[in-house]
Amino acid sequence: MDSVLLKQGAEAKLYSYDFYGRPCIIKERFKKSYRHPTLDVSLTSQRLKAEVRANLRCRMAGILTPTIFMVNFDNSSIYMQEIQDAITVREYIATIQEQHKDRAHANDLISPVAEVIGKTLSKMHANNIIHGDLTTSNMLLQGDPHDLKLVLIDFGLSSFEASAEDKGVDLYVLERAFLSSHPNTQELFDIILNSYQTTMKDKSAWKEVIAKLDEVRLRGRKRTMVG
Amino acid sequence: MAAHRKIKHTIYNDSTITFALFVNLESCKNIRKCVMNGTVEASLLKSSMIIDPFQVLVAANKAVHLYKSNSMMTKNVHSEILFCLSPSKNISESFRAFGAADSDTSVFVAIVNDTEDKTLAKVSEILGHQPVPLEGVSSLGDIKLITKAYKLTDEELSHFPMLDALVSRIAAKEIITAGKGRI
Repeated sequence: MDSVLLKQGAEAKLYSYDFYGRPCIIKERFKKSYRHPTLDVSLTSQRLKAEVRANLRCRMAGILTPTIFMVNFDNSSIYMQEIQDAITVREYIATIQEQHKDRAHANDLISPVAEVIGKTLSKMHANNIIHGDLTTSNMLLQGDPHDLKLVLIDFGLSSFEASAEDKGVDLYVLERAFLSSHPNTQELFDIILNSYQTTMKDKSAWKEVIAKLDEVRLRGRKRTMVG
Repeated sequence: MAAHRKIKHTIYNDSTITFALFVNLESCKNIRKCVMNGTVEASLLKSSMIIDPFQVLVAANKAVHLYKSNSMMTKNVHSEILFCLSPSKNISESFRAFGAADSDTSVFVAIVNDTEDKTLAKVSEILGHQPVPLEGVSSLGDIKLITKAYKLTDEELSHFPMLDALVSRIAAKEIITAGKGRI
């Protein structure tokens, strides 16, 4: 059975594969020769485990993620279900914006997707899962985009934290990625935040996260280490 | 004898995995004895804990991989299949929950590297039965028992097929059960 290289990222290579008749993606984290070997081994294995762990925790919370078929620690690769007939949210937004030059109209068309993003992230944070690398490229729409089947991928930088700080940073990372990949979409991001809020059952937790988001917006992702 | 299935391992082309399902048995007592004393090398799986052959395939695929990379938790590849299939990290508990019992009237058999199907023939002979199509296992699976053993949540089952939920857990077992024992 042959594997076909699909994509090469900074962290890993993605191959398309057939796992006993099931369409599969192999994500192989390769060695980075510029890193100290001990650090490299430790980081690679940490991220592999973090990815698998967060994927499963999300599924248990009812958030769609690819099914894991196999984990190979020998070459740090994960065999997972290929989400077929899917496009990234990034592609989707770009396509709609391309087709509809009227900005308000385009945003109207995209707003259901923004809502489901907010809802999904709210559910994820309610379960104390921090994605760590939220971008519109790490969200897939499976099938017809109107079905709003949002699949989250790429949990390599994920962690489990209950703090409002980490959730605020998670949203901040998305905001920066969102606004830089998609021009003129502040309104859409506001829809995400709004739907995040409506879904969150614990209203005081929501306020805390948003207060943190405002704080992080002023200072950037990294906390000041003074004092 | 076409009811059994022999599959090449996805990574190790020199390894095969054979599956066979036997039903309407009087008991599994004799075959269990043969496996315990080593005259038959096979994995005897409790059919009520299986909903699809793919569930066992993911466990067997993993067991062979661990065998090849010298990182098995149990003493041979056949017991490793049993252990891989179980979500528990306790070996004897896994054997109790996922291994066939003497009183079982059906059994799902997995055999690694069965040259010329000799072991399968021996198993059939001891059981006095021929294997039946593997897909029959889906009607033998006890959904309630499986849900409980793998701790599947309602949230999860409302969004995913049960098979995918099981497969993910089997593949990721050592990662999710590490540490404090919770995912």
